[in-house]
Amino acid sequence: MITARLPKPAAVAAACGILFVTACTPNASAGTAAGGTGELSVTSTAEDCSVSAATAESGPLTFTITNSGDQVTEFYLLAEDGLRIVSEVENIGPGISRDLVVNATPGSYYTVCKPGMVGDGVGRAAFTVTDSGTAVEPTGDEQAQIDAALTNYKAYVKDQVDQLLTGTEDFAAAYVAGNDDEARRLYPTTRMHFERVEPVAESFGDLDPKLDNREADLAEGEEWTGWHRIEKDLWPPAEAGYVPLTQAEREAVAAQLVEDTTTLHSSIQGIELSLDQLANGAIGLMDEVANGKVTGEEEIWSGTDLWDFQGNVEGARVLADGLRDLLEARDPELAATLDADFTSLSTELDKHRTSAPDAAQRDIAYVSYGDLASEDVKALSDRVNALSEPLSRITAALLG
Amino acid sequence: MFANYLIGLREGLEAALVVVILVAYLVKIQRRDLLPGIWLGVSLAAALSLGFGALLTYGTYGLTFEAQEAIGGVLSVLAVGLVTWMVFWMARTAKNLRGELHGQVDRHLAAGGKGLVVVAFLAVGREGLETALFLWSAVQATGQTTQPILGASLGLASAVMLGWLFYRGMLSINLSKFFTWTGGMLIVVAAGVLSYGIHDLQEAGILPGLHSLLFDVSAAIPPSSWYGTLLKGTVNFSPATTWFEGIAWLLYILPTMTLFIRRSMRRTPTPAPVQHPVPQGAH
Repeated sequence: MITARLPKPAAVAAACGILFVTACTPNASAGTAAGGTGELSVTSTAEDCSVSAATAESGPLTFTITNSGDQVTEFYLLAEDGLRIVSEVENIGPGISRDLVVNATPGSYYTVCKPGMVGDGVGRAAFTVTDSGTAVEPTGDEQAQIDAALTNYKAYVKDQVDQLLTGTEDFAAAYVAGNDDEARRLYPTTRMHFERVEPVAESFGDLDPKLDNREADLAEGEEWTGWHRIEKDLWPPAEAGYVPLTQAEREAVAAQLVEDTTTLHSSIQGIELSLDQLANGAIGLMDEVANGKVTGEEEIWSGTDLWDFQGNVEGARVLADGLRDLLEARDPELAATLDADFTSLSTELDKHRTSAPDAAQRDIAYVSYGDLASEDVKALSDRVNALSEPLSRITAALLG
Repeated sequence: MFANYLIGLREGLEAALVVVILVAYLVKIQRRDLLPGIWLGVSLAAALSLGFGALLTYGTYGLTFEAQEAIGGVLSVLAVGLVTWMVFWMARTAKNLRGELHGQVDRHLAAGGKGLVVVAFLAVGREGLETALFLWSAVQATGQTTQPILGASLGLASAVMLGWLFYRGMLSINLSKFFTWTGGMLIVVAAGVLSYGIHDLQEAGILPGLHSLLFDVSAAIPPSSWYGTLLKGTVNFSPATTWFEGIAWLLYILPTMTLFIRRSMRRTPTPAPVQHPVPQGAH
């Protein structure tokens, strides 16, 4: 083979260049400092999937997976949601070790093995990647960075809407079956997926009102459908005069919600976004917070405003982080301010969180909005305002 | 040992099936002179896969997971396109063969000969990278035990054996049956390759819906069992199939198979029309 005569890095670089622009990832031995710190070993057996450490620093990580069981196994590194595959190795035969090299960014992950290649896998464990301080993504030219930011964000939106659809189907099923406790549990956590990508959902003009209209938003004679219609039925107002929905009405409104969410899901597949939409999306999300969540107007029946709040903030943070490389080059001070403001807002919100920090999506819980003291609301509102200011400067910094 | 054997068997079968049909076809129409082209495609794919596998294992850079899945996915979709072309190309040449118009057949083969090399290359190359990575890690593991590489090699050898038996069987049936059967089989194989390619692209995050399952019969047909392995190796059956995969499978197989069956039915009763040779300089 001709390539074998070339020096190795040159040959691989050439091969990578031919195949895909961003297809290459450094092997562990390549990095200067990475070799010692980024090495983890995984042992996969029939019942367990033990990883040598539960945390690592960002950068190139090498998982050396040894199959000690007697079935073919697979190893997965899953994203924070426990569903999206960040990386995987398949076909690890008994007695064989294989390396999984991944260029990991800071964040929460899960590790899991799948002996026999079926089911949800065994030994699922949380895995945290801390910030090593060195940027993981190589800094290429600006257009490449913009393209990467757009591609990543589109993937994020699609992933969130995928989960929104699954969650909505479960929620609607519970509601129709009269399983109201389950429906009440699923309501706020499913909506978080919507809240994270709300500006994109809003770009489909007629869908957003059908899904997310509050009673107060209704125009004269407009039919009330969507989440908040069901919210009112699940948390009926205490004062007299509210007539619960009949079973037929329940079925109709739940079917409509699933149908509209399915339409949103299919509309989103071909979506095209631009850089200014990303930058403005972050501001849009914080406006959502300031206008509805911090005032407790969004979820007047259920009091689950803080879930929506958290969803909006997470969505804004994903946007800001996605633009980070670009921002770092244009205005490093703004990037630092954003980081600090996001962190202090998250800290403030976390004070009201009642579930464990590593809880799965459906177990995330906050106190009800009604339980917040007025100084709590004030503190949250201050942090939101503090964040809005640097966010509003992103567009100018990037496009100016 | 047995599990490693099954891996070798599965990957080997996936590559062997198409190649065997190609070889049987050329032998049937007595064009053994074109066989070196097939073997060229196969050797190129094997050499490239092993070379890449070695580079990715021992080199300083590896492929990202998305790239691996994307390459596998794109090659699969390409392979489907080429195999489909081949099925109809074979049917067309066969028709001319029946009329004993050797000039026609030769012209078709001149155009198709290069195509055959590419089909053979894709059939082997598609699974080659994954198999090569497995083999290299098995080689690395030989320090501990030689069992894994022995198992995988025996699996590959069995796949070649099965391929050989299949080839013998193919040669013994008559020509018109041969085309109907192999053509139909290739379409089923191609449909499996397509849905497998879709799955790869879903895992790479390029296509959505990785977790929306159409059906999951993993309990009845475990992928690690010998029958699960055979189903996967021959028709790429996945016991846990996503909606996207299932729909792509149907959208491919229904029209292609219908068209193919209609062509085969039409071909059998009508003798090929006799064409008069065009005199030189008549154009």
